[in-house]
Amino acid sequence: MRLAGLALLAVAVLSFPSMAPNPYILSTGVVVINYAVLATSWNFVGGFTGYISLGHGALAGLGGYGTALLVTRAGLPSFVALAVAGALVAALAVPIGFAALRVRGASFVIVSIALVLIMLLVFQSWASFTGGSRGLVVPRPFPGMLRPEHHRVFYFLFAGLLGLALLAWWLIDRSRFGLGLKAIREDEDKAEALGTPTFAYKLVVFVVSAAFTGLAGGLYALWFGDLDPVFQFSILTGSYMVLMALLGGVRHLFGPLLGALVVGIALEYFKAEFGNTPLHLVATGLLLGLVVMFMPDGVLPALGALARRVLRPPAQISIRDVTAAELAQRQPGGVR
Amino acid sequence: MPSAGLVFQSFVLGLLLGGLYALLAAGLTLYFGIMRVVMIAHSAFLILAAYLAWWTHARLGIDPLLSMVVTVPLFFGVGVALQRLLLARLRAATLTMMSVLLTFAIAVLVEGLLGYAFSGTQRRIQLGYGSASFGLFGARIAVVKLIAFGLAAVALATLYLVLKKSTLGWALRATIQHQDAARLIGIDTERVAGYGFGLGLATAAVGGTALSLDTTIYPSLHWHWIGPLMAIIVVGGLGSVPGAAAAAMLLGMAQSLLQIPMGTTWAQTVFYLALFATLALRPQGFFGGRLAQRF
Amino acid sequence: MSPPSSVETQGLTKAFGGVVALDGATVSFHHGKVNALIGPNGSGKTTYFNCVTGMIRPDSGRTTYKGRDITGKPPHVIARAGIGRTFQICRVFARMSALDNVLAAVRPGGLVGGLRGARRKAEVERALSWLTRLGIEHLAGVEARDLSWGQQKLLELAGVLMADPRTVLLDEPAGGVNPALLERIGSLVRELNAEGRTFIIVEHNMELVMSISDHIVVFDRGRPIAEGTPSQIRTDERVLGAYLGV
Repeated sequence: MRLAGLALLAVAVLSFPSMAPNPYILSTGVVVINYAVLATSWNFVGGFTGYISLGHGALAGLGGYGTALLVTRAGLPSFVALAVAGALVAALAVPIGFAALRVRGASFVIVSIALVLIMLLVFQSWASFTGGSRGLVVPRPFPGMLRPEHHRVFYFLFAGLLGLALLAWWLIDRSRFGLGLKAIREDEDKAEALGTPTFAYKLVVFVVSAAFTGLAGGLYALWFGDLDPVFQFSILTGSYMVLMALLGGVRHLFGPLLGALVVGIALEYFKAEFGNTPLHLVATGLLLGLVVMFMPDGVLPALGALARRVLRPPAQISIRDVTAAELAQRQPGGVR
Repeated sequence: MPSAGLVFQSFVLGLLLGGLYALLAAGLTLYFGIMRVVMIAHSAFLILAAYLAWWTHARLGIDPLLSMVVTVPLFFGVGVALQRLLLARLRAATLTMMSVLLTFAIAVLVEGLLGYAFSGTQRRIQLGYGSASFGLFGARIAVVKLIAFGLAAVALATLYLVLKKSTLGWALRATIQHQDAARLIGIDTERVAGYGFGLGLATAAVGGTALSLDTTIYPSLHWHWIGPLMAIIVVGGLGSVPGAAAAAMLLGMAQSLLQIPMGTTWAQTVFYLALFATLALRPQGFFGGRLAQRF
Repeated sequence: MSPPSSVETQGLTKAFGGVVALDGATVSFHHGKVNALIGPNGSGKTTYFNCVTGMIRPDSGRTTYKGRDITGKPPHVIARAGIGRTFQICRVFARMSALDNVLAAVRPGGLVGGLRGARRKAEVERALSWLTRLGIEHLAGVEARDLSWGQQKLLELAGVLMADPRTVLLDEPAGGVNPALLERIGSLVRELNAEGRTFIIVEHNMELVMSISDHIVVFDRGRPIAEGTPSQIRTDERVLGAYLGV
């Protein structure tokens, strides 16, 4: 049953380019799937450890600029640059994580925001190296390729990256490492008292998250071709990631993907309807506010709970003692 | 080698800047002390107040300082409403995290509305006395900076008096120090928290007006401020108003003096450096004393 | 010849602002026995536990475990050295099932081991056996936050025992439990002790303490003032003085 649903999802995702009526819709699809990768990458940290990072935009920006600079300055072929940039971001995530993960809760959020703001400052000021506010042009990896084809190829590249991210998330979710991370989310000190090396765990998952985020940023740079610090190191991007993951449900594999679909499509629609007015900011703020107030566990779980209450008689969802046999039957891989 | 005059000028400017920062940061640390809320929207409200001050002057022809007559009580009311209607509804277990996201959402909302109402064009108040300055031992000090400092000083002094002498202030400090104990002695902590928030946003009204005198404003300016302000309150010790003031003076001075060798843009990094240093060495802040909270 | 020591501290001191919680606590707990740590409220017992398990850094002093210095080591290292503890206000992972709560104690065994499934047969069986031993196996699938206080206490203990500690620190195991559960906990401690586990129990319930302890240490104002067998402690004047404030 599950495999069938998965296959259906894969087919739907992969067949989108052939069904897109025009190149504009196709490019919107690339944007949305980019969001999906970013949101899923964010969810390694947010979903497993419960640490809310508003600064993942910095990691995406680093991936983007890293790739761009490696191509323009070091002359590396595009995809080699991408891989190297991804590795660099992962390496950078170690000292960043070392500093940031020493604190929790509100202080961690503050640090994550500060990270983006610092990056913005540095990349804007160091114009000689990064092009500053003039922006940085990234040569296309496939010169001479027509627009629609360009969008197609990158759509599939992003889809591939998304698949990898989802796989990694799933692997961690069902693993002992993942259980340890979730324990950290529930009660970090208790987890540590139980023998979990909490700092090491947090750092590892942060590096994994950073790697995927950096790769997504780099791929975006190759696709879009033009970088500007204000857009690359944007708190807004970071907040989109959080919004999408929260909306879809942080404890679920496909939560961020779903959130990305909903928010991404809505965003592009708003941009098309209202031009580039600040109203899309208003919409984002309202949506995030609503989700936080009324659906902090995400839309997926909220809908799921609603469905369960409607579809199943109340007796079955009361607190009930479960025997070991029933348990083994019910939880083969387990969610949460 | 910078001249003594230049250094002295930077020193004086740093003093004035620090005073202004102290006011801007006071509200931010107050919210955290009362409710463990990281109010990211504080700087957005600063800019809102600045816009209202500009609008008062540009469209109504009235001195921007007079806008405070309306904005201060208005922002107080908004603060109370924000706390009672929204923040109080968040689940206690995840309050800090969720409040970050919620206030972040509010900040984005405010920015969007500002952009919609006033467009993204940069605005600057053109005051008659805007370019006046006077000399002090060789340093040239813009009058507007002095007025801004004066505003900050008066507002902070008022805040100090309220906190130390008034009943509300006592109740507020009790709530900050130990919410349960405060409840046990009959303080309605929910109500008090609301007023505390109102106070915080009221300082934002004053601070934003002070800012408007001397700064070019645009809707996304608040991002430029939230970083340094958060750094200040962390360095000062989350929840401690005197701590924030001390940190503000220190960092404002540092920024001003560092502008000589490093230039304006790079001098801003001093805030972030201080933030990381604090988190690495003494996460509960340097100046807050026992009042300071750890996240 | 003094009995082999389990947890041993020398001159452990800790102050919070102006309050001195531990004032040069030098004490040695006996290996293989059921030790009790008693004393009036505020005498520093929980702070002692927190310092020993690494949750708080002592201002000065040394902690050794079976001869090895563990002062200032992080909590997870101390846990892996073989010390497990429960908390005064019991701490469980609220939004995880009881089974997962116990499984969380499994050592991942390095990078590769960590990626192995969390619910492998052998571990699940071991976890279920602990839940069974504590009488809550029927709650294995229930989220911890939906359990009663007593059930949560048992769950916390199951999780701690799953990590297979040689020494178990219990912080007020009798707190808020009914007499039947109290009996169960008491006999459980005796059983586990007979199997070779050392216990150090902070407790106020004198009946429980006197009935199961081999060795009692009495704290007052942050330091030990007396130690001995239950019968010795029962009649010790200093102990009476500490409790009655004489």
